[in-house]
Amino acid sequence: MGPISSRLLALESKRSWTAIVILAVIAIVVVPFLNLAVPEGSLFHLSTFWVATLGKYLAFAILALSLDLIWGYAGILSLGHGAFFGLGGYAMGMYMMRQIGERSVYGNPDLPDFMVFLNWDRLPWYWFGFDQFWFAALMVIAVPGALAFVFGWLAFRSRITGVYFSIISQAMVFAFMLAFFRNEMGFGGNNGLTDFKDILGFELSQDATKVGLYIATVVALLIVYFICRAVVTSKLGRLLIAVRDAESRVRFLGYSVTNAKLFVFTLSAMIAGLAGALYVPQVGIINPGEFAPAKSIEMAIWVAVGGRGTLFGAILGAFAVNGARTYFTAAAPEIWLFFLGALFILVTLVMPHGIVGVYKSLRSGELTAAIGRRLRRNNG
Amino acid sequence: MFKSLKTIAAASVLAGSLAMSASAQAADTIKVGVLHSLSGTMAISETALKDVMLFLIDEQNKKGGLLGKQLEAVVVDPASDWPLFAEKARELIEQHKVDVVFGNWTSVSRKSVLPVFEELNGMLFYPVQYEGEESSRNIFYTGAAPNQQAIPAVEYLMSEDGGAAKRWVLAGTDYVYPRTTNKILEAFLKAKGVAAEDILVNYTPFGHSDWQTIVSDIKSFASAGKKTAVVSTINGDANVPFYKELANQGIKAEDIPVVAFSVGEEELAGIDTAPLVGHLAAWNYFMSVDAPANAALIAKWHKFIGDDKRVFNDPMEAHYIGFNMWAQAVAQAGTTNIDAVRQAMYGQEVPNLTGGVAVMNTNHHLSKPVLIGEIQDDGQFATVWKTDGVVVGDAWSDFIPESAKLTADWTYPWVCGNCEKPKYLTN
Amino acid sequence: MTTSHARGEVSPRRFSAFIGTALLSLALLAAAFLPANAQTTAADQDPFALAVQGLDARQFSDKAAAIDALGALGDERAILVLQAFADGRMYRRNADNLVVIGDRVGDIFNLTSPLTAESIGTAASGDIKKIVANNKLRGQIRGVLGQLALFSPNADNRLDAARNVIASPTEEALGLLKRARDRETVSKIRDTLESGIAVLELASDDRAVRLAAVATLADRSDPDIKSALDQRLLEINGEFIEPDPEVRAALVAAIEDINDRLALFGLAENLIFGLSLGSVLLLAAIGLAITFGVMGVINMAHGEMIMLGAYTTFIVQEIFRSSVSPEFFGMYVLVSIPAAFFVAAAFGVLIERGCIRFLYGRPLETLLATWGVSLILQQLVRTLFGANNREVANPDWISGAVAFGGGVSVTVNRIYIIIFCIMVVAALAAFIRYSRFGLQMRAVTQNRGMASAMGIRTGQIDALTFALGSGIAGVAGVALSQISNVSPNLGQNFIVDSFMVVVFGGVGSLWGTIVGAFSLGIVNKFLEPVSGAILGKVVVLVIIILFIQKRPRGLFALKGRAAED
Repeated sequence: MGPISSRLLALESKRSWTAIVILAVIAIVVVPFLNLAVPEGSLFHLSTFWVATLGKYLAFAILALSLDLIWGYAGILSLGHGAFFGLGGYAMGMYMMRQIGERSVYGNPDLPDFMVFLNWDRLPWYWFGFDQFWFAALMVIAVPGALAFVFGWLAFRSRITGVYFSIISQAMVFAFMLAFFRNEMGFGGNNGLTDFKDILGFELSQDATKVGLYIATVVALLIVYFICRAVVTSKLGRLLIAVRDAESRVRFLGYSVTNAKLFVFTLSAMIAGLAGALYVPQVGIINPGEFAPAKSIEMAIWVAVGGRGTLFGAILGAFAVNGARTYFTAAAPEIWLFFLGALFILVTLVMPHGIVGVYKSLRSGELTAAIGRRLRRNNG
Repeated sequence: MFKSLKTIAAASVLAGSLAMSASAQAADTIKVGVLHSLSGTMAISETALKDVMLFLIDEQNKKGGLLGKQLEAVVVDPASDWPLFAEKARELIEQHKVDVVFGNWTSVSRKSVLPVFEELNGMLFYPVQYEGEESSRNIFYTGAAPNQQAIPAVEYLMSEDGGAAKRWVLAGTDYVYPRTTNKILEAFLKAKGVAAEDILVNYTPFGHSDWQTIVSDIKSFASAGKKTAVVSTINGDANVPFYKELANQGIKAEDIPVVAFSVGEEELAGIDTAPLVGHLAAWNYFMSVDAPANAALIAKWHKFIGDDKRVFNDPMEAHYIGFNMWAQAVAQAGTTNIDAVRQAMYGQEVPNLTGGVAVMNTNHHLSKPVLIGEIQDDGQFATVWKTDGVVVGDAWSDFIPESAKLTADWTYPWVCGNCEKPKYLTN
Repeated sequence: MTTSHARGEVSPRRFSAFIGTALLSLALLAAAFLPANAQTTAADQDPFALAVQGLDARQFSDKAAAIDALGALGDERAILVLQAFADGRMYRRNADNLVVIGDRVGDIFNLTSPLTAESIGTAASGDIKKIVANNKLRGQIRGVLGQLALFSPNADNRLDAARNVIASPTEEALGLLKRARDRETVSKIRDTLESGIAVLELASDDRAVRLAAVATLADRSDPDIKSALDQRLLEINGEFIEPDPEVRAALVAAIEDINDRLALFGLAENLIFGLSLGSVLLLAAIGLAITFGVMGVINMAHGEMIMLGAYTTFIVQEIFRSSVSPEFFGMYVLVSIPAAFFVAAAFGVLIERGCIRFLYGRPLETLLATWGVSLILQQLVRTLFGANNREVANPDWISGAVAFGGGVSVTVNRIYIIIFCIMVVAALAAFIRYSRFGLQMRAVTQNRGMASAMGIRTGQIDALTFALGSGIAGVAGVALSQISNVSPNLGQNFIVDSFMVVVFGGVGSLWGTIVGAFSLGIVNKFLEPVSGAILGKVVVLVIIILFIQKRPRGLFALKGRAAED
């Protein structure tokens, strides 16, 4: 106990610990209180819309963390992380699908509606076990992990790096999208899995359930954050950074680059799967749209906007980009893509280290100097 | 530099919160939510529906609004992103406190918002032809159910006038609407004595652009000496390359007519239709129908949008009917309260633009006429067949065994969207 | 001109279903017109004029009767009239209910009298009403015209007519076909007519004639002929349609022969389809091969450059429509090619100077910035042109299909795309190889510092290289506008495929891109019939992923220092 807790404490500076504790308390205590206890109509009431939306952002934040872990620290840019996120989501969706039972439209106790509709008379083998929560929860992590292990083993062993890795990971997620669109796959085709009723016996339409899911997501985010923190501050983390900066040299020094990358890639995929599993009950649907290559690219953009290689930046980026989307799609529905596009360009040009980078250089007073240098260089 | 960024950020947050609180407080208008994708893959079809909603709301306001209040459109962009549809639906109802929502196009987006509307007791008008097999207490389906589109179209092609087709290709995009429609059609065709080997079913992915193989398959399937017809449930973007390939491979409508359920005036606007004359579509409305109400509305629409080339199509008419029904129901109920308006909706009548009267049934589907039109070289349809009266929309198809036994009726004694026996609830 | 009686027959243009219409015969129709014309001019008593006026009937069955009447009159003017009706150029003039032929020119119609084939003035679109034909009527017209067309002076028309007879043979056509064959001088058409005669003679009472017919058909390779042979082998109520066992054996042998040939043709067809898909992929990817392959910029806005090219084509087309005479309309595509190149190249320069030049050496960050650019360009086009598809018409000279026999036909636009693609690639390769700019471009990408030291202005070369890549993407947009949607989403549909092609072929290798595109196209097309379109594509993606394991740098990996990270 002792060494673990001291290791945990050592992960962050005192100031950071204070910030984390304050944020966690706000997220876990204040938000649910404002939603459930403060009466509707009060100025301080927080609507369920915000709880659900924040819950979604939090799931995205976990996903962004998983991507930052490999991109920010190991230099592996996966443009296919949507695959792991989606698979985790499908695993959770399958559990909730099985929970519907006789309350489904066609009233078949075993088969989901879309299977009844396709004239299937029995559950396909890969759906077995998903009526148990523990099994589904295991699959949420195991399936993306296994996929990442196989994919990563093939890729890292052949020393596929950089852009090549990005593009074949995109090919992978694209293949998943096409495959899951097919109704014969047994995952509901284009509509995916929807019409969920409850999770672990709690009705999804209840505000309390939503708050519960929200709190679970906050807790998951905290745990994932500390796991990532532990990895990147360990010896392995330093090795990964070395791989990111000069892979060949690390290899020549006798380290097994393949194994290190494989480990962190698999871990990252598991985290992405967890994010998907938390996301699905909060939005109420999982469909092949999550495998769209554009979505996976966007995940990378969250990390870049927040600042890669900082973990905290990934969380910030997920909130900033998705918050901007929520805001602009309602405030400027006809032209919001201009804002979003401009945001991405500005971030890469003006804030190469993302929001966190701006904050850091502001604190050290380097920003203005840096911009000046940059402008001079480009003009010269 | 950073200071100004920070100021901008602060200003936008402030503006945002002001906008939100302002919109929450303004109770002197009736709010109409418009939930159509304005970006992403579905913007092609849905943007026009957003425009038509603004037009209809403007028309209503010119007539003095409703209940002495002006109507206010709240437009959001769910960006063809299905989970975002659910988020935006919740935002419209909870944050903007809209009284009704008009929106959605794809089935998956409807499935995505359905739990939100049911949980928050909202009201959605869904204007697009769809696969049926659904009836929610909180959704009114103003587009065609399969029995209002697919079955009449196939009956027409089987008739002497339609060319007496004996062999059938059912080509569709692989998602739930084509799957359901084709399942219903297969059952229907077999019931009419068509042999299994005379039916070819083919599915392609969304946005499929290389149709060489499939069009050539259709050609060889049709060379078996029997009159062949193609029933197309191909969706969206894939249609343009499909029709271009058809035209270039020289498949004439006289030889192999293609009847489509997802191709209307809006879609044809993107295609040179000269080589496609004679291919068919089945809808509840065609812009070309020669009726005074239709001409008058189109004239107003062109004036509103400031472009007399803009087309009007079936889902737009569905919004026209749905919106007017809702306005009448609100006026009758004297309130925008969802439960009261829902009660007032049943039996509500609005004249179709093409003649006759559309009626809202207790299964939340409309009774509408069915029209079959042939594509003309000016991008319009010429009506070649029309039902005598109106056809009642079926929520549950009679041709699917497990759904034939279900009933949708939201009035006493049923009060249910998918039941085998009445629930006897008084609500 | 026509009297109120006749108007009473046609004016309520409402539908009232199809009850009792079959009873109306031509005789009734003619009778309805006759008294009405008592006080009108001589032209109206002409049965031909009556039949023409009869086309403007309320019911399709009445129109059908009028068509038969026109055919039966044996009047040559019927060809002009029926063709116009089938083409949808038949109108009723509202002022006097006269049936006229109208040809649209801009917003007005030039009217032609169907009786005299002379011009009778113009009309605005509101003054005339189209007389609608349906598929059945068009089919009927083709039947009536088809027999006449067997003797048309135009060889293409004769060939078409002969093919139509084979597709739907009738006993009566036999004599006609034989007459046509005896007069035919073109051997290809003669062969087709022979086939048609043989198909009809399969049902002859004379066993020897049937055997001869089977022998004639055995060396053909047409799916229609095969199905005609198949029909003869069917059993009805336990009895063969073909009673003679020897003829049946000949039929079986002939069908086997045809099947073998058809299988070969099927292979050829897949190959051609694959080449065509490959050339589309190559066109879409070739610009990316420069911006991504040569410059190392992960250009996510590449698809939008294609889209800009397609929209430029649309604009050029609209300019041609409104201000260039119709006979030159087909040339708009040629004018679009340089226009699209320069528009896309200009945007390319703008993007490179405004954004990408700050990000060289950080390829993954160019991904983010160009993704932003892509969103902005999409929205820009959506705001300017609207969200829906824009119509880009195929000019006549790139419409239609070329038949290769054996049921294999390839559409002309795809053949042009294959040719166009080869030309673009050849021009590009020559440009990079032989031009001064190409030399500088290669120098800069291979060793920036050294090139700079040699006096090459690297910034300028970067901008021009990016402009070249973008411009070629724009040119691809011209080609793609001929087969695909022109919508704000156009680019998004090609971006993933383009990256696959470049990576599969080997980044930085033009040859790799070419071989990559064609092999992916062909593999895809051979898989599609086996596994379906969707699974076929999935399999191709898996193949790419596995292939990259074997060759991490693609098909044609660059060797040397430039290839290392």
